[in-house]
Amino acid sequence: MTGTLWLAWRQQRLLILAGTVLLALCTVWVAVRRADLMDAIGGYDLSRCKGWNGTCPPEPYEAMFDAAGGIRLLGTMGLLVPAAIGMFWGAPLIGRELESGTIKVALTQGAGLRSWFAARLGLAAVCAAVFSAGLAALTAWWWEPTANMLDGVYWHDPYILNTTGPAAVAAALFALAAGTAVGLLTRRTLPAMGITLGTVLATAAVLTFFRRDFVTPVDRVTAGMTPKQLIGSAWSAGYRYLTPDGRQHPLENCLFSGEELRRCMAEKGFSGRVHKVYPSSDYWTFQQIDTIVYLVLAVALVALTAVLLRRRTRLV
Amino acid sequence: MNDPTAAPALRATAVEQRFKGTTALQDCTFDLPAGRIAALVGPNGAGKSTLLHLAAGLLRPTGGEVRVFGSEPGTPPALGRTAFVSQDRPLFPQFTVADTLAAGRRLNRTWDQAEAERIVRAGNIPLTARIGTLSGGRRTRVALALALAKRADLLLLDEPLADLDPLVRHEITGLLMAEAAERGTTVVISSHVLPELEDVCDHVLLVQDGRIRLAGDTDDLREAHTRLTGRADPSTPDGLPTAADRGAVVHAATTGRQLTAVIRNAPGTRRPAGFDGTADTPWITATPSLEQLLLAHLRAPAAAHRTEAAA
Repeated sequence: MTGTLWLAWRQQRLLILAGTVLLALCTVWVAVRRADLMDAIGGYDLSRCKGWNGTCPPEPYEAMFDAAGGIRLLGTMGLLVPAAIGMFWGAPLIGRELESGTIKVALTQGAGLRSWFAARLGLAAVCAAVFSAGLAALTAWWWEPTANMLDGVYWHDPYILNTTGPAAVAAALFALAAGTAVGLLTRRTLPAMGITLGTVLATAAVLTFFRRDFVTPVDRVTAGMTPKQLIGSAWSAGYRYLTPDGRQHPLENCLFSGEELRRCMAEKGFSGRVHKVYPSSDYWTFQQIDTIVYLVLAVALVALTAVLLRRRTRLV
Repeated sequence: MNDPTAAPALRATAVEQRFKGTTALQDCTFDLPAGRIAALVGPNGAGKSTLLHLAAGLLRPTGGEVRVFGSEPGTPPALGRTAFVSQDRPLFPQFTVADTLAAGRRLNRTWDQAEAERIVRAGNIPLTARIGTLSGGRRTRVALALALAKRADLLLLDEPLADLDPLVRHEITGLLMAEAAERGTTVVISSHVLPELEDVCDHVLLVQDGRIRLAGDTDDLREAHTRLTGRADPSTPDGLPTAADRGAVVHAATTGRQLTAVIRNAPGTRRPAGFDGTADTPWITATPSLEQLLLAHLRAPAAAHRTEAAA
């Protein structure tokens, strides 16, 4: 095992070095920008700034606005990190060995295939987990002081939801497993990188657009025309109208406001309005969905890779 | 090594290897006893590399089984006793020569660092050189150093001499001979150039069209055949005498009025049946050289193909 681990380290050390440098640069950048933010909002009571309907003194508002740009940039990086790990770490992990034929050298030494694969994938997985966890922690750390505030960055934005918490780490591991499996199947690094990029982005898109379907939003019911409850930091999932029998009707029935709305609601017998929202505590529900989906896919892909390697189907 | 019950260095039993509809090997059965230096010969694309990959554990046969000293190739007991140099000499291009040898040292239970460095130094290759910057011949030398320093019991070498100049070819051949003589290592060397192996090997495996055509001790195989030269019989279309047993003919060719034929000896005799010759058509008989024997088998019509084995 020590031999294969040495080989894995010797072959991946450039990637590990690059990842460490990038993470260190990000840490410095975030630390500086966060310190600026903390200076600017220090001494203000920010509790009133929370949510879309919050009110805020102008100074912390400006600081929040400034930070939001940087947080979105960091979040964008976080969105791309799994794809990058899959392309530059996963795809060549076996793909380049097959392409250059060096897998024949590695697998005909004394150490067996199992040890070689375990060391290789294990080292890559540990590094992918550490780097993605580091970036996720940085994002959360910077975002937390002005979280869910005014028109800043919210928990349900992909910048945050997809790039922080356990789901970010699971996404990186999934991307690594996908790149590894695709590299074995294509036997060429470059096509494997392209396919991995597509697979990782498509999976993230599917989760982003469809994970809401698995969670029931909370209904905020307001009787008649009375002002609806403020959205706060919740995530709106649309409006409905309510009839006295408790049934809900689509918003398209009355697309008006003010006096026209009152008339429309009376005409159609609507007794109240429903605002469907995901409260900010649903962050953990969505995280759970992403994490489970990513980890199940990752385990399945690693199992597929291991079976194909064991069968020696595409090594030569 | 002399224990008759010991497992052969390499044993193939009804091995078949298919790749996406094409058959690379079929009906491959042979034993390679330990301590032999075997030439694995055959035309390009005959299945030589496939056979070596199977023995190295990089392929699983789609039919039959391969055993290395009784173990399945690719399993730890087999890996520990086998060394393989692939035809394209893959080595990690970003590694230095020293890194490459370090990989061999760390990945193998047995390792002779001094031997590895000696082979590399004999080629004037600095240990600090990057593999990616080495010429083809020098890379071959490093690949051979990696294989030889492992002190394996079975060396599988796929065209190891192809890109070496004649002097180095001689040196490497000598190195392999010494290794085999000192340690009783079994060596399988593949080549499509017959003469470069003639003086070296004592065992031959002839592969053609995915089948083993000849397998056995070179001397036994040669003694089992006779090369005949004489005047072609004008009364027969093939120039062979009417009484000759054509089933015994491996290959016959006429050049003008002269006939040359390689013929299997009748069982238990040193002479083929039906080729006794007459007073007016005397035959010159000789034991064929290995090259003559292999060429005769390679030229034999496909219908006559069958595996011949001699222990």
